[in-house]
This record gives sequence, C-alpha cells and structure tokens, in this order.
Amino acid sequence: MKSFFERKKSDIGKTENTYKTFAFGSLLILSVPLWARLIPGNVIHMDIVNVMVLSGIYSCAVIGLNMLIGYAGQISLGHAVFFGIGAYSVAILSTRYSWFPTWLGVIIGAIVSFAISWVVGRPVLKLKGHYLAMATLGLGEIGFIFFREATGITKGTVGITAIPSLSIFGIEFDSNFKLFYVVWPIALLLMLFSMNLIRSRFGRALRALHSSEIAAEVAGVNTSKYKTIVFVMSAVFTAIGGGLFAVFQRYVNPESFHFSVSILFLTMVVVGGLGNVWGAIIGSIIMTFLPSIISALPYWFPFMPKSLTNFGNYTLVLYGLLLIVFMIFMPKGIAYALEVGYSSALRGMKRIRDRISALKYEKRK
Amino acid sequence: MDAGENNVLLKVDHVSKLFGGLAAVNDVSFVVRSGEIKGLIGPNGAGKTTLFDVITGIQPPTAGRVFFKGKNVVGMRPDEITSLGMVRTFQTIKIFEGMSVIENVMVGRHSRTRSGFFSSGFLLPRFRKEEAETFEYSMGILEMFGLQTRAFDLGTSLPYGQQRLLELARALASEPEMLLLDEPAAGLNPYETHELTQLLEKIKDAGITLLVVEHNMGVVMNISDEVIVLDYGEIIAKGTPEEVQNDPRVIEAYLGSGIGNAQS
Repeated sequence: MKSFFERKKSDIGKTENTYKTFAFGSLLILSVPLWARLIPGNVIHMDIVNVMVLSGIYSCAVIGLNMLIGYAGQISLGHAVFFGIGAYSVAILSTRYSWFPTWLGVIIGAIVSFAISWVVGRPVLKLKGHYLAMATLGLGEIGFIFFREATGITKGTVGITAIPSLSIFGIEFDSNFKLFYVVWPIALLLMLFSMNLIRSRFGRALRALHSSEIAAEVAGVNTSKYKTIVFVMSAVFTAIGGGLFAVFQRYVNPESFHFSVSILFLTMVVVGGLGNVWGAIIGSIIMTFLPSIISALPYWFPFMPKSLTNFGNYTLVLYGLLLIVFMIFMPKGIAYALEVGYSSALRGMKRIRDRISALKYEKRK
Repeated sequence: MDAGENNVLLKVDHVSKLFGGLAAVNDVSFVVRSGEIKGLIGPNGAGKTTLFDVITGIQPPTAGRVFFKGKNVVGMRPDEITSLGMVRTFQTIKIFEGMSVIENVMVGRHSRTRSGFFSSGFLLPRFRKEEAETFEYSMGILEMFGLQTRAFDLGTSLPYGQQRLLELARALASEPEMLLLDEPAAGLNPYETHELTQLLEKIKDAGITLLVVEHNMGVVMNISDEVIVLDYGEIIAKGTPEEVQNDPRVIEAYLGSGIGNAQS
C-alpha cells in the first residue's frame, strides 16, 4: 500500500507527456457544455454547466493556493479574503458606476489583492507551521469582519445585488454557457502558467525551500523573497476567481467569503492532490459537484432520505471529514491516484499486447 | 585591514558565539588562504558546526567579524554569501525531498542563473536557453561524481554515500571559490572515504579553497595543508598535520590528560 502511494518519479524528463496530458485534459473540460446539453436537467436534477462554471471559478482561486501549500509548503487559512477582494471590487465598482466595465473590475480586484498580499505577506511568511496558519486565519477573519461591518462600502450582510453580467468589448457573457468559455480558458491558462513555473528555476526554488529552508538558502535561494512571490501570486489568482464569482452570481454578500470558504479551498487542494499540477482543478471540480450530487441523491434513489436536499447546511462537516480522510489515507490526493492508475493501465495494456503477439508467434510456428 | 591581502580568502576575526552563558565559539581568529585545504578538528561539542553556521550566515555571531574576499559577510543572508562564492555542506544530509538527483544539482545553480517569474511562466526563449544550459552544466557535475545514471531518480532514493556526494555536487554547482564541508566522510565506508579523498584533491586542483570539518583523522591528516584544533569553542592548536598530531594539548583534548605520549 505504501509503495503504491510513494512511487513517484520526478517531473523532469516527462515534459512531453505533461503537455500532452494538459492538452487532453483541457479538451475534455472545454467539451463539457457541448455534451452536457444532451442530458436534460430535470432527469439528473443538476445543471452540469452551471456547476462547471462555478468549479472553474474555484479552480482559478485554488491553482495558486496549490503552489503555495503543495509546492512551497506554506499554509494559508485566509484566502477567502482575496476571493472577497476580487468579488467586491467587481460588485462595488460596477454597481456604483454604470459605465464601469466588469472585466476591468476583475483586474482592479487582482491589483488590490496584489498590493494587500505584498504588504501582509512579507511579515506573515516569516512564521512557520501552526503560527503561519494562525496568522492567515486572522487575516481571513479581519477580511470577513470588514466585508460585514463596512456597510458604507460593502452594504454589510444585505450584500450587493444587481451586479451586471460580464461584458468584454461589447460581448455580453450573460448565460452560463457563454460564461463557461470565459472562466475555463482563464483557469486553464493560469494552470499552464503555474505548470511552467513549477518546472523552472522558480519552481525548483519553491520545492527546495519546502524541503529545507536552510539548505535552500545555502544553495542560493532567497527564501523569504520566493515565499512572498508565491503568496502574492496565489492571492492574485484567488482574486481573479473572486471577480469571476461576482459576475457569475450577480450578487455578493459576506457569507461567500467566510472562514469556511478558506477551508473549502484547502479541502479542494488536499482532495485534488497537494503538489500536483492537476490537483487544484480536479479538487475544485469534485468539491463543487459533491454538494449538488448529494442534494440530487433523493431524486435518483427514492429510498434516500428527502432531507439530503437541504444538504447545503452541513457542507462544513463534509469538508472536515474529507480533509481528515484524505490526509490519512490519500495524502497525495486524487490526481496522484489517477496518475498511478493511468500508468498502470498503460503497463497492463502493454502486457496484454505482448501476450497477444507472443500467442500469434506461437501459432505461426 | 589586512583582510584585503591578495591571497587571504577567508578571515575569521575574533568571532564569538554565545548561547545564553555558554560560549560555543570563543574569540576564534584564523585565515584561510586561496587554494589551500584547511582542516578543522576537535572533539564533539567543540563548536565546529556553530563556527560554520556563523561563517555562512546561518547564525549571527555574538561578536567578531568574518571577511570573505575582503568583504565583511556578517549580517548577510546565506544566499548572498553563496552568490559571493562561499558554499557549505551539512553534517546531516539535506537532500531536497521529492526532487530528482539532477534537480537537486540544478537548485545549486540558482545563484548563477537569472530566469524570473514571468520568463519561466511564459516559457520565454531566454528562459529555455538558460534552462538548457543549467541542465547541461548540472549533468556535467553529476558525471564528475559518477551519478549521471541516477539523474532522474529521486535524490532521497540514493544510498547514503551517494547522497553525501550529491550534496557536494549541489554545492559545486554554484561555482564556489570556497567550500566549507561539515564532516563529508561521516557514515562513509572505507572505500567511499578513499574515493571522497580523491575527489577533494580534484576539487582543490580545480582551484577551490576548502575548509573541512572532519572526525576521520585519516582524511584530515591526508588532505589538509594546515589543521586548526578547536576545543570548548577555543583554538587550542594550529599547524601542519604532523605538528598538530604531536601537540600535547591536542592529545589531551581528545584522550583526556594523564596519557603521556600517546601517538599513533
């Protein structure tokens, strides 16, 4: 069992495969709205495209977080605040000034996140382990309280309604179908960018400092600089996700940026696979579909209790449970299990092919 | 200031390091000249590793200065000292987990390469070129150490002796002028120790100055031009290996007093 999960060859030398997998995965994801239309919503009681858009948004939010936690080994329990900054930037600017383009709101949100994470990151990242977790938790809490209490700006618990849909140069992305083709290309580009980074000098420095900060410093890595850069990067990615969240929901209130959302992000990274480039995307797809699937269960199977349709109230329990189960039994997440499964399937196929050709050879004799 | 003298590479100037009331290093001064191999020996707890930590910027000294190439390096970060050309290895091996052998060495090239965030993320031509060069250079070092066949295996999967070599390879990848080795022969079998000794000679021939902490007397006495003996944080003897071996204070520090002329 142990060897199954610890068998890992390094990334380098598999460059071609990595990009092939990326191309294949991207096509698979981008084709979803095309075939999902064939499944009528009233049969499965779920709007697949709608859930996919949301998981694309969460993917944007956690791709950077996976770099921070999975590769650089620095935890953050406060990323919901950057998600909120992204979302409120769009919400506030586009509702106050009717001329304000929503896409610019997304960019402004990213810039504000950049500035805040830069200022906060340097001192906070001096802390390690539990202390870093506590400090980022505090950061998230400050953000949440600000969103709730600064009623003059954020309208507090009432939230901001009637956010205009995303429009880029006159094209309105007002349906989930259209929005899908904005959100997912962005998510996949962010993923491609971080994939390149991980395999570079930058990524090697991150992985090195994850393993031993002192040894990385002696090897010439300015660890505090690199930790800050990856923290800022993750904050900016999360803010982009937040901005898209605002134009998707068309409504924001502080609840969407509560501490539990930071935990949701963490769960996505862990379930998907810490330190696996696909981890963030796989994790966010699974974690976004899970509540919808559980709520739909009573429709699919009549013997399931009807109360499951209100499952939304218990999601935090689910996150906690999944975190524990994955940390114990599958610390490398689902992406890694898929990777291993795929390569053993290839090996199995090869064995069968060899066997067949051996049989043919026998026959000919 | 004579630290600028042309053949003095490292000058440790009245360095002390106190932990609470305990002086782990007490008023230590010595120089290492370009091209020499200097041995640093002493019983357990003599302060050798602490002295290394102070020289390479991992811990600040309580008092004193350290000059490398005439520049005071006290207060500089370890990575800055590495880019200046002084690199160390560790007594307890610190191979980067989850990274292949070649990647471990490539991290060592960090201070000699420049690709940043955006050029790496967007795979700019500049980055690709430098990446290929880094790979070639690191592979060359692995060949010198006979590790090229294991280049794509995880660094931590190597046997102990080869992990020591890998750490040395990583340090060399930064093109240092001076290497500080903290017990490079610890845990090696006699054959591996012999190989290591030859490697160190090769490194010296390449013009790299060495300061070596070592418990294995065979290694130290074989390769060192000069030996410094540390006990309770103080230098108790310096000189050629022969002189040091016959110094009664050294014999006392190692074997305790009352043993007359215990020579090997």
